[in-house]
Amino acid sequence: MRNDAPTRTNLLALREELSLARLGRELLDQKRKILANELLALVDQGAELERKADEALAKAWRLLEDAALSDGVLEVSILAGAVNAEAGIELGRRSVMGVPLPVVRTEFVERGPYYSPLDASYRVDAAAAAFREVLSMMGRLAELRVSILRLAAEVRRTARKANALEKIAVPEMEDAVRRIADRLEENERDSLALMKTVKARLGNAPVF
Amino acid sequence: MNYFAIGDEDAVLGFGLAGVRGRAAKNADEALGAFREAVADRKVGVVLITERAADLIRPQVDSWLASESFPLVVEVPDRGGRLPGRPGLRELASSALGVGA
Repeated sequence: MRNDAPTRTNLLALREELSLARLGRELLDQKRKILANELLALVDQGAELERKADEALAKAWRLLEDAALSDGVLEVSILAGAVNAEAGIELGRRSVMGVPLPVVRTEFVERGPYYSPLDASYRVDAAAAAFREVLSMMGRLAELRVSILRLAAEVRRTARKANALEKIAVPEMEDAVRRIADRLEENERDSLALMKTVKARLGNAPVF
Repeated sequence: MNYFAIGDEDAVLGFGLAGVRGRAAKNADEALGAFREAVADRKVGVVLITERAADLIRPQVDSWLASESFPLVVEVPDRGGRLPGRPGLRELASSALGVGA
């Protein structure tokens, strides 16, 4: 409940504020829609990629287990220590309605051969290849996951703001505007009645 | 920039085969240490953390995900597969959009 003094200045200011709040609500609603569209587009890609990455990772775990069983964990870890590969990740940013989203580009830099193919069993190679494949998806998956988390949080925030304006701020202001307008009209009627009374009395009295 | 792996020894070994540096973490202290090391390293672009390891330091991981900083953190399933009862990407999105549960 707002308690502004019922004056014409306040009425004008409130009307101004009210139209501003309505405009803001509309803008927030648009923002929410745009974010939601982006979110939906990303979710489709993300869910698909996540499924693929999970499958690839499950396969990689299986192959790793095979390699560890046949060659021994020690051997595998020694070979892993020799691997000289680098995932060239490049991080960028893009922005959707002011929400900063990451962009990831992954590029493998391999400096092989890093261990003698004669000593290593094919199982180790297969496991390594499987993990490389997983990694090639992880960059994009990281981008999508983080983007989705941020967008979802922003959509929630925007919807909350829009609701607060719509359900609380705007009705309160409308109330206040109505109250002040009523009061001003009442005052007008009061003064009109007063004027009429004065005029009637003046009419009966001698004019000087 | 590079990946960094945090998880059990198998995870570190597996990703190591693809040339990823990593730290094994069996308890919350180790996980926290590994996580701090990973995010402090400017050469790390994406941190891969197994769901089990992430659960050990859930508050830190979540607050990192909520902040808008690099490196990015992804939770991956470990050898046992995905832990049950996690909201998938789809559920996350639909709860934010206010459709579904």
